[in-house]
Amino acid sequence: MSTASVPVPPAPTASGQTARRLRHAGQRLATVLLTLLGLLFLTFVIGRVMPLDPVLSIVGPDADRSTYEQVRQQLGLDRPLAVQFGYYLRDLSQGDLGKALLTGHPVREDLARVLPATVELATLAILIGTLVGVPLGVYAATRRGRLGDHVVRLISLFGHSTPIFWFGMMGLLVFYAWLGWAGGGGRIDLAYDGLVASRTGLLLVDSVLAGEWEVFQSALRFIALPAGILGLHAVAYISRMTRSFMLAQLSQEYILTARVKGLSETAVVWRHAFRNILVQLLTIVALAYGGLLEGAVLIETVFGWPGFGQYLTSSLLLGDMNAVMGSVLVVGIVFVALNLLSDALYQVFDPRTRS
Amino acid sequence: MNTSSLTSRTLRAGALATALAAGLGSFGAQARTPNDQLVIGVSMNNLLSLDPAGATGNDVVEIACNVYDYLVELDPLQTTTVKPGLAESWAIAPDGRRLTFTLRQGAKFHSGNPVTAEDAAWSLQRVLKLNLALASPWKSYGFTAQNVAGLVRATDARTLVIDLPVATDPKMVLYTLGTSVSAVVLDRKTVLANEKNGDLGAAWLTTHAAGSGPFKLDEWRAKEVLFMSRFDGHWRGPAKLRRVVMRHMTESQSLRLMLGRGDIDIATGMSVPDIEAMKATPDTEVHSVNRGTLYYVAVSAKDPKFADKRVRAAVLRHLVDYDGINKTVMPYYGVYHQRPVPLGLPATLPEPGYKLDVAGARKLLAEAGYPDGFKTTIRVVAESPFTNIATNLQATLAQAGIVASILPGTGNQVYGAMRERNFEIIVGRGGGGAEPHPHSSLRALVYNPDNSDQARLTNFQGWRTSFADPKVNQLIEGALLLTDPAKQTAAYQDVQRRFDSEVPAIQPISQMVDTVVMRKDVRDYVGHPSVTTRLRDVHKQR
Repeated sequence: MSTASVPVPPAPTASGQTARRLRHAGQRLATVLLTLLGLLFLTFVIGRVMPLDPVLSIVGPDADRSTYEQVRQQLGLDRPLAVQFGYYLRDLSQGDLGKALLTGHPVREDLARVLPATVELATLAILIGTLVGVPLGVYAATRRGRLGDHVVRLISLFGHSTPIFWFGMMGLLVFYAWLGWAGGGGRIDLAYDGLVASRTGLLLVDSVLAGEWEVFQSALRFIALPAGILGLHAVAYISRMTRSFMLAQLSQEYILTARVKGLSETAVVWRHAFRNILVQLLTIVALAYGGLLEGAVLIETVFGWPGFGQYLTSSLLLGDMNAVMGSVLVVGIVFVALNLLSDALYQVFDPRTRS
Repeated sequence: MNTSSLTSRTLRAGALATALAAGLGSFGAQARTPNDQLVIGVSMNNLLSLDPAGATGNDVVEIACNVYDYLVELDPLQTTTVKPGLAESWAIAPDGRRLTFTLRQGAKFHSGNPVTAEDAAWSLQRVLKLNLALASPWKSYGFTAQNVAGLVRATDARTLVIDLPVATDPKMVLYTLGTSVSAVVLDRKTVLANEKNGDLGAAWLTTHAAGSGPFKLDEWRAKEVLFMSRFDGHWRGPAKLRRVVMRHMTESQSLRLMLGRGDIDIATGMSVPDIEAMKATPDTEVHSVNRGTLYYVAVSAKDPKFADKRVRAAVLRHLVDYDGINKTVMPYYGVYHQRPVPLGLPATLPEPGYKLDVAGARKLLAEAGYPDGFKTTIRVVAESPFTNIATNLQATLAQAGIVASILPGTGNQVYGAMRERNFEIIVGRGGGGAEPHPHSSLRALVYNPDNSDQARLTNFQGWRTSFADPKVNQLIEGALLLTDPAKQTAAYQDVQRRFDSEVPAIQPISQMVDTVVMRKDVRDYVGHPSVTTRLRDVHKQR
């Protein structure tokens, strides 16, 4: 038997692999920077086109012309738009996000204060959403068309179609006003405010680190309800998506093969089907988490939660563009980071993506 | 494994479990604010700065009047009565052009520095030099950044002299000193120690305070919470409360629930249904106080339609359902009033009694050449009660064939358009009125010395509505200078009659009412018509 000479591609060398990885990372970084720059430019243009006058927010509707013009100049709004954007980028490159009109503080300080409040809330909510939503979705898929499935779908429909604002008010009425189980407005009882030094900005974590259990207890009491309601909203979305992903997998032939082989139903569902939806699930959980970070504004309003959503919304209404740009940048970075994270996790869960 | 780390971890886990269990156990306990603390639920959406030279809006007034001292104060129950503050006495020169204040001895700032007349003079000079929002009233008295140092000065540590650059009614100046945040006395040394790039401490004072008032500002976290604690060294003696907390709450129903549970003592900015509900509960009570500000409907006289007096009369006098609006929309927001001079002043004329009269309006519109009406727009701030007034107006205008589209927006957008004279109809609120003097409102709402676009007198609503009547201007200027109270009252009544006869472009519909709901155990809270509500005597009786 003659052996045909088949050209074999040379095996990649270690240095070649490193170069390819570096090039890939460089491309990724450039894409991320371009995305963020585009986001900033768009926000800047929209901010300037919007019929909102930051000068008027500062001087009030009854200010005379000289005061108005003076403050306009102080804010640099008398310069051409391109120059304003150029100055913004110059300051940004030095880590300066400018000063917020809303608070009189540097935007960076404000974000360092409001972002952890929302991160704490959203993290707890997404934990609830995932830990409850995923098993519910799997359960519904395995009981397709039966009572259990209908109940889960009803919960999902209810959670998704009911305004979160209404949930917030009802939650306050029942768990705060009637039962007295939950805290009212704010992050903590006023008696404990300021007792624990801020290390992470996450009150639950800071109080544990400081060993202040009463503060922890109060913080837990205040966060439980808003996080639970946001979590319920996340449960509705995650369970619905999990069910749909699982149904797609359960109708595949490899599932039939697994069953024919005599594997237990638990092994079929969790070891085979569920494992194959992990990548999709990661994406939706990551996106839901990002959505909670920027979109918890209604719950923050109902619960007087001093978080990022409220900060961004009120800055927007005032035309406080430094604060809006800084916040949008954060949202952009969060989404980019979550995407990168889910990409990285794809490679962990799906070997096909490693090549 | 290290035993001690295991023990420590076990202990931590145990403590966490205990805390969680205790947390669950404590659920259900009745919340109640401490006896010596007052917790106020308030929207801080418009609180952007604490600097007395640049802060606008009412939120800052309630803080400033407790953290700072004014030279004089206006009695909340009889606002024309001027009471001593940091100035124990004052004198007005016979020609009305000089006010001399004698400051009390022994008053100290929170820093421990003594309060002197130099501080008082410097504080007012600073307002003019910075030329921020609150320089407006002082500029209207003729002060400028250039002349203020010579006109407002300390002749010794306890004597402050204010020379008025142009003739005016010194009472009006005295009222401004008792109501405007710009008139508070700052601790000059502390402020200058925090000055940056010659800003006279403006950046620092945006978030800090340097006063001598009965409360010290401890911390302000924007749109979250503000803490004030008692200043034991206050010259009146310590306040009755140890601490005041203002908590940012914008949602009316959340305020209602927290008030009901006793987590807050006073709630402001609640919606009418929630106020009504709280009125019926045994633990809370409702307090309302008339303010000088007016709700109005205004048209732009620059618009060819509204330049016609008959169209203005039709729209502003016959097509506004004054009775309906005041009975159904305005409870807790305002009280029926149709004059530019607020209720309660000697010069205020009886109401003219405008009523919804569609037939009368149709007749006037036909005479003006609009028998079938026309199309127009109503700009309105998208919040209660403005939107409710606007929809009511939209319905009554339609009865006369006028098709009005409502353009809702933020205050910034609506008043911004008005400042640019870019509107047709506006439902708004404003008009001075903080000082209990007819001039305060007439200056803001009626006076318009130059109606040209170039003048850009954006602080005058008369200019914004493009309505000017030289005779009215002349009458307002003359009335201000009259020293005989009876003659002055009569002169201000003439202003109102003349204004009325010319069918102005701005028509008051209601006078603003400020309503707070509070727990019944809160005592001696007296809301001030000029918003300078002082908390030094407030306490709780349980």
